[in-house]
Amino acid sequence: MDYQFPKQLFPSFYNCGPPDLVLKHCAGNWGCYDRVRPQGGSGPLSSWTFTSRHQVGGEAWRHTEPVPVPLLSPKNSFPWLSTPPDPQDFTEHMQNFFMDHCQDAFGSISGILSENLNLKPGRKGKSRSDSVYMTKMENIIKKVKLKRCPFSFDSTVLDRYGTLLSDVLPAVPPELLGSLLYEELEEQRERMLFCEAATGGALAFIPFSQSGSDPQRGCLLYPGNQGLDFLNFHRVELQQHRGTPSCLDASSCELSTFQLQGPVRQISAASLINDCCVAVRSDHLCGVWRFSEGNKPQLMEVVNTKEVGTCISVSPHVLGEVLVASESGAVNLWTVGKRMQKVRKEEEYLYFNAKSSWRWCEFSAHPRVMQYADRTGVELCDIRMSPVSNHTLFRIGNTSECRSGERLILSRYLADVHPFHHLITTQYSAYIMDERFPCMPVLKWDHMMQSPPMFCHTVPGSDPSRTAKVLLGSHSSQEITLLQYSGGRAEACSSRGPPQALLRPRDSLRHLPVQIPHRLELATSRLSIPAAGLTCIHKRGGGGEECICILQLTEAGDIFYQILEPEQPHTPPQAPERNTPSGIKVAERPPHSLNLTSATSSDEDIIGPNQVLSYVPETPERERPELEIYSSSSESESQSKTRYMKRLHMQLQVIDNVNVDHGNESDTAGVSAETVSEEKAEIPEESSRMEEPSSSVQKLSDGVVVTWKQWLQKLMQKSRENKPRPQRRQPYKVPTEDLLHLSGVQARGEDSAEKERMENLRRDLRACMTSRSLLVHSAVSASLGDQEVVAVPNAVDTDTWKDPTSERFTVSWQGEGAWQAWWEENLGLNRGKKVEALRRKRKREKEARRSSSQQSVLSGSFTSSLCYQSDLSDFSNLSGWSSTASQGVWSDSGGALSQAEDSIENGSRRATTPSSVQTDAPVPTLTPTPTPTPQRDKQASQTPSSTRAPPPTPKSLKKSKRQTDYLSALFAPQDEPSQHGGYFLEEDSTVHHKPPPVASSSYQLHSSQSASLRSVRTGFSQSLTPSRSLTPSQSSQGRPGLSQTSQTKKKKPRMGF
Amino acid sequence: MDDLERELMSFKDLEDDNDSFDDNSSKASTKSKLPLPNYGMHAEPPRESGFHRSTRVCLEHIRDALLHHRWQEAAEYMACYPQILEDTTNGSAQSYKELTWRISAEILHHHPKSKLEDYNNIYERMKHSGVRHYLMICLEHSFHLLLNGHIEEAKRQLSVSESWRYGKESAAQDQKTKLIQAYRSLLDYIIWVDKKFTNSNTEYPESNENQDIRNYFRTASVNLKEILKNPGVWDPFILSYVEMLEFYEDHEEALKVLNDYAYDNSFPPNPNAHVYLYQYLKRCDTPEKNQMKVLKILHVSVPSHELMLEYSSFLLKSEKSSDIEKALRVVLEMLDFACWRSSLDVWKRLEAIIQKLQQQENWKYVVRTNMAERHGWWPALHFTCFHASKDSEENPELMQVKAPLTKILCPDLTLKYTDWQATNGK
Repeated sequence: MDYQFPKQLFPSFYNCGPPDLVLKHCAGNWGCYDRVRPQGGSGPLSSWTFTSRHQVGGEAWRHTEPVPVPLLSPKNSFPWLSTPPDPQDFTEHMQNFFMDHCQDAFGSISGILSENLNLKPGRKGKSRSDSVYMTKMENIIKKVKLKRCPFSFDSTVLDRYGTLLSDVLPAVPPELLGSLLYEELEEQRERMLFCEAATGGALAFIPFSQSGSDPQRGCLLYPGNQGLDFLNFHRVELQQHRGTPSCLDASSCELSTFQLQGPVRQISAASLINDCCVAVRSDHLCGVWRFSEGNKPQLMEVVNTKEVGTCISVSPHVLGEVLVASESGAVNLWTVGKRMQKVRKEEEYLYFNAKSSWRWCEFSAHPRVMQYADRTGVELCDIRMSPVSNHTLFRIGNTSECRSGERLILSRYLADVHPFHHLITTQYSAYIMDERFPCMPVLKWDHMMQSPPMFCHTVPGSDPSRTAKVLLGSHSSQEITLLQYSGGRAEACSSRGPPQALLRPRDSLRHLPVQIPHRLELATSRLSIPAAGLTCIHKRGGGGEECICILQLTEAGDIFYQILEPEQPHTPPQAPERNTPSGIKVAERPPHSLNLTSATSSDEDIIGPNQVLSYVPETPERERPELEIYSSSSESESQSKTRYMKRLHMQLQVIDNVNVDHGNESDTAGVSAETVSEEKAEIPEESSRMEEPSSSVQKLSDGVVVTWKQWLQKLMQKSRENKPRPQRRQPYKVPTEDLLHLSGVQARGEDSAEKERMENLRRDLRACMTSRSLLVHSAVSASLGDQEVVAVPNAVDTDTWKDPTSERFTVSWQGEGAWQAWWEENLGLNRGKKVEALRRKRKREKEARRSSSQQSVLSGSFTSSLCYQSDLSDFSNLSGWSSTASQGVWSDSGGALSQAEDSIENGSRRATTPSSVQTDAPVPTLTPTPTPTPQRDKQASQTPSSTRAPPPTPKSLKKSKRQTDYLSALFAPQDEPSQHGGYFLEEDSTVHHKPPPVASSSYQLHSSQSASLRSVRTGFSQSLTPSRSLTPSQSSQGRPGLSQTSQTKKKKPRMGF
Repeated sequence: MDDLERELMSFKDLEDDNDSFDDNSSKASTKSKLPLPNYGMHAEPPRESGFHRSTRVCLEHIRDALLHHRWQEAAEYMACYPQILEDTTNGSAQSYKELTWRISAEILHHHPKSKLEDYNNIYERMKHSGVRHYLMICLEHSFHLLLNGHIEEAKRQLSVSESWRYGKESAAQDQKTKLIQAYRSLLDYIIWVDKKFTNSNTEYPESNENQDIRNYFRTASVNLKEILKNPGVWDPFILSYVEMLEFYEDHEEALKVLNDYAYDNSFPPNPNAHVYLYQYLKRCDTPEKNQMKVLKILHVSVPSHELMLEYSSFLLKSEKSSDIEKALRVVLEMLDFACWRSSLDVWKRLEAIIQKLQQQENWKYVVRTNMAERHGWWPALHFTCFHASKDSEENPELMQVKAPLTKILCPDLTLKYTDWQATNGK
């Protein structure tokens, strides 16, 4: 009797005012009865029974498979963000854009400007009068130290300069691009965390026949294609064969497919007897289709909403009436084919400012009373009166025990469950409202989902004694929660059992055969794509067994389904002291005894202990040679064994539970652990597996494994088909042959040797892979030769450097205190103190001497004077201070140079520099240290010539010039001493390194070889340009010890001089 | 109770950080930022000791197991979890206590061999471990006892917690106290009923026995009267209170209580309040006019209520001509609702009303005005060929009533319902 109102409701307070409750724990309302009310009874005490609002047990449903099963093969593959982007990363995104799409980012402006640029110096006649001279421009650009794109070179001179220029002239101003990008990322992040457009869900199932016995057939509506802009009507059939688990058959052909002009956001459907009306919402368009079992879907009408549509809802009362809500705040009643009638328009919020333009609308028990919802609450609008009369159905704040910050997420009229019931979900709770008694929820759950429930599907109880099931689905975390409740008619509503979390696609991989890493990664990211819809096929227990098939759609267009079956009671209900609210309910409630408690059951899911023995002989198989491991069959076998053992684990504990009093859980756990360890002795191979948490008791059926395998294979295939990124330009390679000064023969010889080495290396690698060993140095050194073995630099002997700068550096390694002491000492700040200390010391010594012996007075006084002198020299080592001052400055400037260099260099290059330092620094013959100095010399005189410097590629020229500018700017006042030092050094270098070009080139050869080798190995595509060899002092960045080495080397010849 | 200070402190900072939502979305964006539930599960706190980490991971496992209804596994993990209660460094010990209690109780609910002693054990221990959840756990404890039929034990529990006073912590605490008192009084009422019952069976009731029963009434009525002053839903309480008042013939008080419950605007619009008032008036044989007044008000708030059938019969009996029109309106409105659409009683009532109405001269006008607003959707709601086939299958009698009415209600439309009947019915 649907029209009945409960005779007695559960007592509760009615609180008004803003919610202030903050829940600090994560247990929701577990373990709570909420309220009780007396039931029946009007006589003696024993006749009174009570019933609680939250009842302990509901119907027990169990999964037929431990994983959801994919319904359709993957149709597409595209990269997907697994974590929401951080808006602060917009600079990184900009950088990637500039690097990967430099033509788009800069090409247009440089193209426009190219005709106004005169690139070749000195030829004035040919160019236009208003053209800019690039030589000047070039200088200006060089002065501005910008991060440059390492890839953006092209073959012609024009493009080279064009790119150089384009770095400063992006097509979109970086400020604008940055702010737009930030905005976009922020929105993307919010959309990933909470996508309100998807509310309602874009998946629907329309059953064709209502009869129970034959297989449940119907039409599944889901969006397809990459952008979810295809609406598919697909005939599916829920098949059930005795003995085998039921499955969903989608093999029959699709009924039809429609292409829409935007992603399908929501599908709402209602059917009346045989005719069905389907309304589809995309962002700006809403359409209505009509179809029935015999007829193909037929598009009736499409409307365009000016603002983004937020809700579409088909009337369960009158076919062809649709409610449409949009972000403008208006709700329209759309009578398909006839007219659009404005139901309500609300610019403001219903109750308080929720800062959201999301609106929702649903029908209610009366065909002309509509539900209007925003984030703050729900109102019922009676549209029969000319100013629409409204009254509150639900209001955040007026509903008892709302929590702080709670907002409405979804509201749904539960026409099929109860004609007056509405479901309202917030991010914390789910409420059942009875529209006859507004403002007070008749039921409230803590759904305990991590992300707010946006999809909902209800399964009415097939007869009044059964519970109605509410399935809530969340968007980003893919959760599905099953809630059960009963009542609402003669009896007050009561929830049955705690919320039950169902399976998620993202958790399924751990139940499947192990995947190799890159497949695993792809599959994981694919499976964790947010959900986009939820629906359910309910097969009533007629001829076959009752079951519920829950389908979930993800934003990638995949559909997964899981089938729930009522749990079969294995043992008669054995709880005499259980909560027995009423006589009827005991009988009707399936006993909620654990499935596991029946050790004697013959159910195939539970394996008796006698089967353990049959398992033992199998174990040696696992220790077969590693060749087997690659075959997936043995992999899945071992997987199933793991599960087997898990179940065994469970089973063992269960057996214990039968014997042991279960009053104390810890007791049981202890005993079961003992038994397990006993079993361990029998099966030692599995001991490590046993400790894994037994997450699943169920076994995957072979059919499901095959389905999943095929699905994953198809996914891999699809992902191979379309490249993850559009083809980007090949990085420009600088031809280096002429720079290396190599004879052709040598180079060729080198090539063949190289090739052979690579062959060897590959072979080694393959051997390592097959033997599953690590690729260690000893394995490759043979094929690589000796040259990779880099000598460890000699230990730095600090005693050899006596100059104060070196000393200071040495001392500064000991810490701040030592460094400060050095300075104090050097500046003579502590001189008085020291003299005092010395005097004291001498006095002490004198006294000691006097007391010890009177014999050698004279010799004693002599030695003491000696040591006095040495002490003094120790304490005030001022010699050479003034002479080494210039050196100190020079080394500073060297540091600055390296810093400047570093700021130009890309980070990836920095990674390779230390190795080159290590090779060249300790070997005196190869020291390229002098090479920067001649350059410096020339730069000082501002006359670039290429006599001794390596061939001037444009890059090296630029760089050296830049350095000079930088240096001169930095060290203008100290110009003289540094130049002075430079002269000295230059002379030294000419003396010591007889032909410097040869030395440097030989170094270049070496470094470029090793670099090319390295680049081959590591897969770095950028080749090492020879300009690097010019600036070995860059290695001194952040490494004072090394800069000291180079300093001593500079200094040594000077001492000799 | 030595940690009272700390609890109060933590309660304060609990209040401080509550409205984060309005703060962080002060900028004028149309997209809302929802405060999402943070179950403290996945975010790893920046600094935590090994103990805290292991308990946190343990809690995650428990939660996961409970959500998937793997009670066995949850129980195994739960054996280790209560360690957290011994932790003194953590400020939010209060929430851990509640957590422990809730999870333990839930596991016990689903344990095949849980005993009342186990429940008593956990309830007693947890209720004495902190101040703020004492009343809540007491209430739940008594509920558990009540559900298992231990009414006297439950009453003892409630009496103990009723006398418990520990300052005034919050409004919620105050409400819990009132609820405890009300439930205790409800149990007093039940004992009162029990005594009355046994007393009525003996032929000569003794006077001191009567006095005893009256004492139960007195103790019960104090608290029941008290709780009825608070806005809320008090159906079981008001019923028992009114029953006792009626027994002692305090009709004035009973009527006042019921009137307040029904018509006080601070109370939620509970349809049962009107029903109780109506039933009381009916029991007391008050004039029909008063009864109709109650039903009239109920009709405004719940036009689909089953008492509307009685209301329409009152109106039908009435002499006034306007009442017939009212009755028509009431019944048509009932038929708007899905739950009455295939009810034979309502259609028959409608038939009776129309028949009576037809005696008036302007009956066509009356029907037309009332049907004008339904013109667009009533045919689709009641008179399609689907309805025709359904009615003929499930309830042929209904079809017999409905078919002639279609002509009267929608005279200018050719309806598929009658067409279908014409082709298939005969």
